[in-house]
Amino acid sequence: MLIPRRVKHRKQHHPGRSGAAKGGTTIAFGDYGLQALEPAYVTNRQIESARIAMTRYMKRGGKVWINIYPDRPLTKKPAETRMGSGKGSPEWWIANVKPGRIMFEISGVSEEVAREAMRLAMHKLPMKCRFVQREGGDF
Amino acid sequence: MSNDTIKLQAETRTQFGKGAARQIRRDHKIPAVMYGHGAAPVHITLVGHDAMMALKNPNALLTIVLDGDEQMALAKDVQRDPIKPVIEHIDLVIVRKGEKVTVDVPVHLEGEAAPETVVSLDHSSLQVEAEATNIPESVTVSVEGLEAGTQILAGAVELPAGATLVTDAEALVVNVTQQISAEALEAELAEAEAEAGIEHEESDEDAEATEGEAAEGEATEGDEAKSEDA
Repeated sequence: MLIPRRVKHRKQHHPGRSGAAKGGTTIAFGDYGLQALEPAYVTNRQIESARIAMTRYMKRGGKVWINIYPDRPLTKKPAETRMGSGKGSPEWWIANVKPGRIMFEISGVSEEVAREAMRLAMHKLPMKCRFVQREGGDF
Repeated sequence: MSNDTIKLQAETRTQFGKGAARQIRRDHKIPAVMYGHGAAPVHITLVGHDAMMALKNPNALLTIVLDGDEQMALAKDVQRDPIKPVIEHIDLVIVRKGEKVTVDVPVHLEGEAAPETVVSLDHSSLQVEAEATNIPESVTVSVEGLEAGTQILAGAVELPAGATLVTDAEALVVNVTQQISAEALEAELAEAEAEAGIEHEESDEDAEATEGEAAEGEATEGDEAKSEDA
């Protein structure tokens, strides 16, 4: 699973969730992409789960790119703990995804296979997504 | 090669800023700017749908009709909304007949590589220099029957007549690699699933297989019953 090797601050504030993606909104590597339509925190488990779902469906053909990285820690206080006594311990690693971001890309498979693979991946992710592909003017 | 130009009607823009730009977009038009050849930039407004359709063609040569004057231009930069299918702004660069321009041309693959291989396109476009009125629409690379380990570099790509390569000739365009073996893929996915703590329920395939066996069993019993009746 994707985890940063070393971080400057072990516990961080919650990343901001407003606004749309400023970059990474076009397909850069593959032929087809999965674009986020809502803001969400995507955990490293969800990313891995989506990747496995796509790779399993595409079998041995094609290639998958992951364009997001879970580099923000989220903390959690233990259950039944009184407020105070400092911040909880890091529990998850998440990627702060904003609408418009292309999260996964695929190449080397037909459009039908790519669509189905992305559909399976969408079910592993916590936000609405859509399938996108390169168009005439974008390359 | 695209010799045809697409005519777009334009109006001069007199009001600027986000308020004016938003008003233009509300009227289904697109704010744009046209510059080049040392001329002062001209701020214009284009008809939204026509401009959007014109820009579906890669490197479309546009003829901008502004106050009766015609000006040939290429789209240099197109700002799109990341979610909605809306063009927010277009930068147009003025070109002249016979002038050479540097543009990105998409690479298309054709044919089927050898079995058990994966073809990856490392450069989806190549930068070429061509006459503004004679820009190639795409560059086609054949991967028919290519074996694993084959690499096609930019220098080896056959360009249409009149176009010269600007991209580094050593840049990798197509890479043909061996497919991962089924066992290796399964092992890799099983390891990833174990790490992520993903557990498999009874898969659809297993369910189908069980149903199939059950159906066969019923059919056999039925046949036996028929034969007994006979």
